Amino acid sequence: MLIQLTDIHRTYQVGQEKVHALQGVSIGIEKGEWVAIIGQSGSGKSTLMNVIGCLDTPTSGRYMLNGKDVSHMVDDELADIRNREIGFIFQNFQLLPRETALANVELPLVYRGVGAKERRAKAIEALKAVRLEERMSHKPNELSGGQRQRVAIARALAGEPSLLLADEPTGNLDSATGEEIVKLFETLHGQGHTLVLVTHEPKLAARCPRAVRLSDGHVVADGPGAQVARA
Amino acid sequence: MSFRVDFIEGSRIALRSLSAHRLRTVLTTVGVGIGVATLLAILGIIQGLNTSFEKQLETIGPSSLYVSKRPWVQMGNWWEFRNRKNITMEQVEAVRAQSTFAEAVAPWMSNEEDISFNGIDLSAVDITGTTPEYAQVGGYDVTQGRFLTGSDDDNLASVAVIGADVASTLFPHSSPLGARIRVNGRPFAVVGVLAAKGKVLDENQDLTVLIPLKTFRALHNGYRSHTIGVKVRSPELLDAAEDELVGILRRARQTPPSKPDDFAINRAEQLAGVYNQLTGALYGVAVAIGFITLLVGGIGIMNIMLVSVRERTREIGVRRALGAKKRTIVLQFILEAVVVSAVGGLLGTIVGLLGAKVVSWVTPLAATVKASTVFFGVGFAAAVGLVFGIWPAARAANLDPVEALRHE
Repeated sequence: MLIQLTDIHRTYQVGQEKVHALQGVSIGIEKGEWVAIIGQSGSGKSTLMNVIGCLDTPTSGRYMLNGKDVSHMVDDELADIRNREIGFIFQNFQLLPRETALANVELPLVYRGVGAKERRAKAIEALKAVRLEERMSHKPNELSGGQRQRVAIARALAGEPSLLLADEPTGNLDSATGEEIVKLFETLHGQGHTLVLVTHEPKLAARCPRAVRLSDGHVVADGPGAQVARA
Repeated sequence: MSFRVDFIEGSRIALRSLSAHRLRTVLTTVGVGIGVATLLAILGIIQGLNTSFEKQLETIGPSSLYVSKRPWVQMGNWWEFRNRKNITMEQVEAVRAQSTFAEAVAPWMSNEEDISFNGIDLSAVDITGTTPEYAQVGGYDVTQGRFLTGSDDDNLASVAVIGADVASTLFPHSSPLGARIRVNGRPFAVVGVLAAKGKVLDENQDLTVLIPLKTFRALHNGYRSHTIGVKVRSPELLDAAEDELVGILRRARQTPPSKPDDFAINRAEQLAGVYNQLTGALYGVAVAIGFITLLVGGIGIMNIMLVSVRERTREIGVRRALGAKKRTIVLQFILEAVVVSAVGGLLGTIVGLLGAKVVSWVTPLAATVKASTVFFGVGFAAAVGLVFGIWPAARAANLDPVEALRHE
C-alpha cells in the first residue's frame, strides 16, 4: 500500500467557527493506481489533496505514505517528503515565470541537493518524456498553456517521486489541450506511475480506473471511475 | 540539503530577482549608499581632525615639560593661581643646576604686542623673551639666518628671530634678514626666521617674535613670572623628570611641606584632554547622524524586502511545495537584502571616501582614510541588510504553503 489514510480529520478555525473539512476519511491507494478524487467545491477534496501532498497535516488520524507515518512530521521533514515522494501538478501550472523550462524542471532536484550535471541530465530526460526537450530554454510566457502544463508534469516527474498529485490539471486548458494532457496521464499510468487526480469534472474522473467521491468531508463512493463519476 | 547548496541557490535567486527589478534595486542601493557615505565621510573627517591635532601636539614637543605659575588647563580658583609667587630666574638656575633628566632648560616670558615694518602693522603678536635653549625645548628650526645666542642675551641686544607668518606678512617680497622691525615702537634687527609650525588649538605658533630674555626683561621691568621649558632626554622619562622638578621647585620656592604645589608642570598631553572635551560631544552627534542615515537606508531595505516577499508569495509557495525548507527561504531573502546593501555599502564607501577627500582639498582639514574603512563600510552595510532583512525573510518562510500557492 503506497498511501494509507486512516480516519483522517481536518478542522480549521475560521474566526469563531470551526470548519470540519475532513471528517474521518479512510482511503488506501496501491502503487501504480490511478485514482480520481471528485466532489463539489466545499466537499473537502482540496483539503484532502493538501493532506496527501503533505502541504497540510491532519488534525487527527493516521497517514502512512510509502511506509512512513507522515501525520506528525515537523515542517522540515514534510519538506523532504514533498521533495522525494510527491510530484505536484497544479491547475495553474505554478511555474516560476523568470526561469526557463529547464530550470523549472530542475527545481525539485536543486532542493534535493543533486549536483548540477546530474540535475540537468535528469531534467532533460523528464522534458523528453513530455516531448518538450526542444523548448527547454523557453520561459513560461513563451509557451502555450498545454506546453506549460507539460513542463509542470516534467517537473513532477524529474524527482522520480512515488506519487504524482494533480489538482484540476486540465482546468485551465481548452478541451483539445486537456485531452492531450489526459493522454499523457494514461501513458504515465501505463508506465507504472501512481497518479492521484483531484477534479470536479465527472468526465475526467470517468476515465480513471478508480474514483473516490467526497461530500461534506466524508467518502461517499469509492469504485471504478466510470461508475462513481455517474452517481 | 546542505547549507552550501542553499547558499549557492539562494545567491542565484537573489541576483536574478535583483536584476529583474533594476530600478527598485538601484533606489534601495542608493538609500544604503547614502547612509554609508555619510557615516564614512564623518568618520574620515574626524579621523583627519584627530590626526592633524596629534601632529599639532608634536610641534609643542612631546618630550618637554613646561613649568609655569598657572596650569594650561585651569580648574579651580583663578585668584589662587593669580596670587602665586612668580617663577624667578633663581628658580630657573636651580632647575638648570639640579635636574638630572633635563637635556635643555629654557626660561621665557611673553606678551602680546604690536609690531610693524615699512608701514605694515601686525597686532597682538606673541613676543617672547628667551635664551638659545628655547630652540631645543620648543623644537624650533631656523630657515634663514640664525637663532638667538648667549651673547645676544648678555649684551641685551635688540635682535629678533621672527616666526614664519610674521616673515611672510611683513616681508612679502624681500629678505627679512637685517631689516629693522618695530616692536611696540622699538627697533629690532631681524637675525633669523623660524620654520613654520602651524597651529595648536587655534593658537598660531608662527605669529611670534623671539627676542633675548634680558632684553625683554629690560623692556618690561622684570617683574613678570617666567615659564621654564625643560626638554627631557626621552619621552619615557617625563614622569620621573616631573617628580624631580617638583622637588627642585618646592625647595627653591620654599613651599611649606603642608601646602600643595604653588606652580604647575604642563605637558602637551594635557592639551589632548582639552581637545577631547571640546570635540567629543560634537563627534558623538556627527556619528549619530551618520547612523540615523544608515538606519533610514535599512528601513528602505526592509520595506523593499516586504514588497518583494508579497510579490513572490506564489513563488515561495511553489518552492515550499517542491521541497524548500523554511531556512532555505530565509536564506534566499536574507541574501537578497545583504547583496543589495553590500553593493550600496561599496558605492557608499567610494562616495564617502571621495567626500572626505574633497573636504580635505577645499578645507584645511586633513581627512585620513584607512584601508580598513572600506571593509568597515561594506561590512557594516551588509550587516544592516542582514538585520533589516531578517524580519521580511522570516515572514516569507513562515507563509503557509497552501495559502501561498493560492495567492493571486
